[in-house]
Amino acid sequence: MIEVENLTKTYRDRVAIDALNFSVKEGQIVGFLGPNGAGKSTTMKILTGFMPPTSGKARVAGFDLFEKPLEAKRRIGYLPETPPLYPELTVRGYLKFVSELKGVASAKVKSEIDRVAQGTGLMPELDRLTGTLSKGYRQRVGIAQAMLGNPALLILDEPTEGLDPRQRREVLELIKSLKGQHTVVLSTHILAEVKAICEQVLIIHRGKIVADDTMANITGGRETGLEDKFIQLTAE
Amino acid sequence: MRTIFAIFKKELVSYLTTPWAWVVFTGMTFISSAFFVGLLANFKQAHEVARNAQLGWTQLPPEYQAFRNLTDGVVVNLWSSVLILTLFVAPFLSMRLFAEERRNKTFELLMTTPIRPFEIVAGKYLGALGIIGMTLGLTIIFPLILAAFGSSESGSALEWNTVLLGYAGLLLWGATNMAIGMFISSLTESQMVAAFVSFAIALVWMLIRSVATDVDEPVRSILNYLSFDSQLQNLIKGVLDLRPFVFFGSVIAVCLLLTHRSIEAQRWT
Repeated sequence: MIEVENLTKTYRDRVAIDALNFSVKEGQIVGFLGPNGAGKSTTMKILTGFMPPTSGKARVAGFDLFEKPLEAKRRIGYLPETPPLYPELTVRGYLKFVSELKGVASAKVKSEIDRVAQGTGLMPELDRLTGTLSKGYRQRVGIAQAMLGNPALLILDEPTEGLDPRQRREVLELIKSLKGQHTVVLSTHILAEVKAICEQVLIIHRGKIVADDTMANITGGRETGLEDKFIQLTAE
Repeated sequence: MRTIFAIFKKELVSYLTTPWAWVVFTGMTFISSAFFVGLLANFKQAHEVARNAQLGWTQLPPEYQAFRNLTDGVVVNLWSSVLILTLFVAPFLSMRLFAEERRNKTFELLMTTPIRPFEIVAGKYLGALGIIGMTLGLTIIFPLILAAFGSSESGSALEWNTVLLGYAGLLLWGATNMAIGMFISSLTESQMVAAFVSFAIALVWMLIRSVATDVDEPVRSILNYLSFDSQLQNLIKGVLDLRPFVFFGSVIAVCLLLTHRSIEAQRWT
């Protein structure tokens, strides 16, 4: 689903990510981990076609992101760090707008909105203004938006950031329920979450991939395996 | 096409559900009404003077002649005032176009959905045209009032050709201001900065003509050519002139291209 070759991004003199190589198979839920500032968001911005890399290649579902950007983008749903909402639109109006941008057929827009609203528990809130929603609901609208058009790949940048424990659990359950229908890449620095739902783990540190393995291999069956590994790999 | 229309619709919804557009509508209506009432008073006064003069209109000084009919006395002058008003209100409408997307972080959404940047620019600009059209559309009420209640020596109260050509000039100027404002808005995250810079550009443009009188040829001709009021003066007076359409059309096209470049370039930073 995702193939990344020698992906590099430099901002002026700072190297954000340095020759990343990894791939993600279809249907996987992948945890993308790393300390703050390790290059997670940069990688995600490149994978969604928002930002071109300085060098290297990235392909999604076989389409090169910078040679066939529209084809690739059609297959990606993206939740940025901050849910991209227009406070003056209602949830329904907002989802309708995003469906139109994503080219969902007019006849299907309504059922598509119902589908994602049901999946994210937004049904009762459809007619509220997104600007008046609580943080948890904004996050859900952000995820609902990413799911519109049923893209094969979902890229979620810190989907549980800033949520309370209950909302956190709900969002995780939601992501877990997507397993099988979508390939999901999610970034977070909360390891317990990753342990609960991810099958593959990528750890990035100072712009380099330091671990790329299945959950079972990384934890080695131990309860604190992931934490130990994370701390060991991201040490100075 | 559908995505352009979707963005256009969303822009109008955003404008009309936030207070800014309504503040601008109110300001526009209030100030242009004040101009209108003032011009009507001048008009009435000129007619009284003419009635009391022995030889009627022929005796009056030239500045009174324009007030002989409603079209030249009221509408043409009104359009010139609205032209200046547009320069003040357009930045407040255009400032949010891209600056707000960047502050809300929705710019990333637009850039990661399968649409091309030019569709974003086109949709946004159509929305901008819609809102400036509505703002300027409010002023068409004044000629309608005159047509309903006024009269003139030749029968019909207004020469609609003149009125509408002037109005076309006004819309053209509004469209140009929105294009400039949109480009400026695409450069910054702050709406206030966007409004201020767009306004500064329009203000300098307005002052070009007064600078032109103090300089020598050939700079004077160039400045005169570039000044928007000399470009528009024929249209406002009701003379069909295609040059301003080419001139402002080019300015708009350049601004749209620059906006396109600017949003493409932002992805690199």
